[in-house]
Amino acid sequence: MTSARAPLVDASDPMPRTLEGRDLVVVREGRRILDGASLIVAPGEAVAIQGASGSGKSTLVRTLATLIEPDDGQVLLGGQDARTIAPTVFRTHVAFLAQQPAMFPGTVRDNLVSGPALHGRNVPPGLDVELMASVQLPEQFLRREASTLSGGEKQRVALARALANESEVLLLDEPTAALDPDTGLRIVSLVRELSRAGRSVVMVTHDEAHARALGGTQYRCQAGRLTRSSA
Amino acid sequence: MTYVDIPLARLALVLGFIVLAVVLSRRSRLGLERDLVWGALRGAAQLIAIGYLLLLLFNNERPGWVLFVLTVMLIVAAATSARRVEHGPGWRVLFPRALIAIGAGAAVALVPVFAFVVPPHPWYEARYLVPIGGMMLSNAMNVVAQVFERIFASANSEADQIEALLALGATPRQALHRQVRATLRAALIPTINGLLTVGLVSLPGMMTGQIVSGTAPEQAVRYQIVIMYQLVGVAAVAGLLAVAFARRLLFTRRAQLVLPTRAPTRA
Repeated sequence: MTSARAPLVDASDPMPRTLEGRDLVVVREGRRILDGASLIVAPGEAVAIQGASGSGKSTLVRTLATLIEPDDGQVLLGGQDARTIAPTVFRTHVAFLAQQPAMFPGTVRDNLVSGPALHGRNVPPGLDVELMASVQLPEQFLRREASTLSGGEKQRVALARALANESEVLLLDEPTAALDPDTGLRIVSLVRELSRAGRSVVMVTHDEAHARALGGTQYRCQAGRLTRSSA
Repeated sequence: MTYVDIPLARLALVLGFIVLAVVLSRRSRLGLERDLVWGALRGAAQLIAIGYLLLLLFNNERPGWVLFVLTVMLIVAAATSARRVEHGPGWRVLFPRALIAIGAGAAVALVPVFAFVVPPHPWYEARYLVPIGGMMLSNAMNVVAQVFERIFASANSEADQIEALLALGATPRQALHRQVRATLRAALIPTINGLLTVGLVSLPGMMTGQIVSGTAPEQAVRYQIVIMYQLVGVAAVAGLLAVAFARRLLFTRRAQLVLPTRAPTRA
């Protein structure tokens, strides 16, 4: 669908599409964790969702990533119902990064190439270095064992891993929660840079300062519903 | 065929080994005394019972009875392998799957061998079908139990990694590949080790039994080779089927990871 040869760090090449969650409902053990949450993320838009723990914000991004099936409502990519798109295709376009991203066994480079490798593609020579630069990590990190990285470094590698996969949309679940305040702010500013470069970004956080630091459209998540707040 | 008879009085002497283990357990405060005594009694009772059952079966050899005995063995094997899974779904979910995995594994190993390699006369001759069938079912049971236990345990402990792969667009098969590989290797290694060490470390039970009861060693060896290769086939088929079932239980049709909640009852 997308060209493997295109410069992956530059987000301008894939056809940008809108990601939408429409009236999403997720019920677990009788509790409505999402209660009709709706959200539209335009191409290249940055969206910050702030909410207390247990407000449903993590469930929302996981549902948008199709890792959770909603009990009601729809996720749409470019106006197309996600259920009609193969999960392997949808998730290549829409990346999800967990709070503490899991590193796969092997080096940082092994991690970077893992997404394209799943689809039988090679990462073109030099792109790995370019990806490292885009997440502000030195080239030497490519040879490091991924499991030995710090929390902030893992976040950056996970971001680079998603970029290597040519994802149009980045869904980030509390990327700063497990980091010290300084490292957290640096990750937010990196995410902001990626968004300015053309990626759509949805970042969930409980930290108001980090939500504001991202800029863009601000939402508040409360009791499984989303309300737009002033930027 | 000649062999040394074991009268019951002399059989009782081997109880000394159990007594020895009980004494050692007590002295080392292992707390295994009850298990040892219960295991010894239960094992002997089961063996004596199966001895009489086999005698009965040999004297009334009919296809229906032989197949009935094999079916009961299959059900017990499936129930046992489904019962010992700590991190997986409940017994009711696993039992039918274990039944298919063990049954298919045993069938793949038994049917061609009885058809072409060791054809019994008549085809349902119990002294071939029951002991050899039992060995296959038992190996399949161990492999399936290990596969279920390990695959669900590793899916639980490595859920974040599996989900990270799914989030990169992996299929469930790709996302679970590492865990499947480790699980199948662990489940098959005992059988492969058996191939590597046979004759060097131990003489297998069936071959020993045949030699003791007067079979020419070269024939006993051939039987043993048949059995060993069958065990490999059983382990491979039963293991792969168990993995396929576990994968279906771990992912939805939309490639979402669902970790099974443990049924509250434990057998």
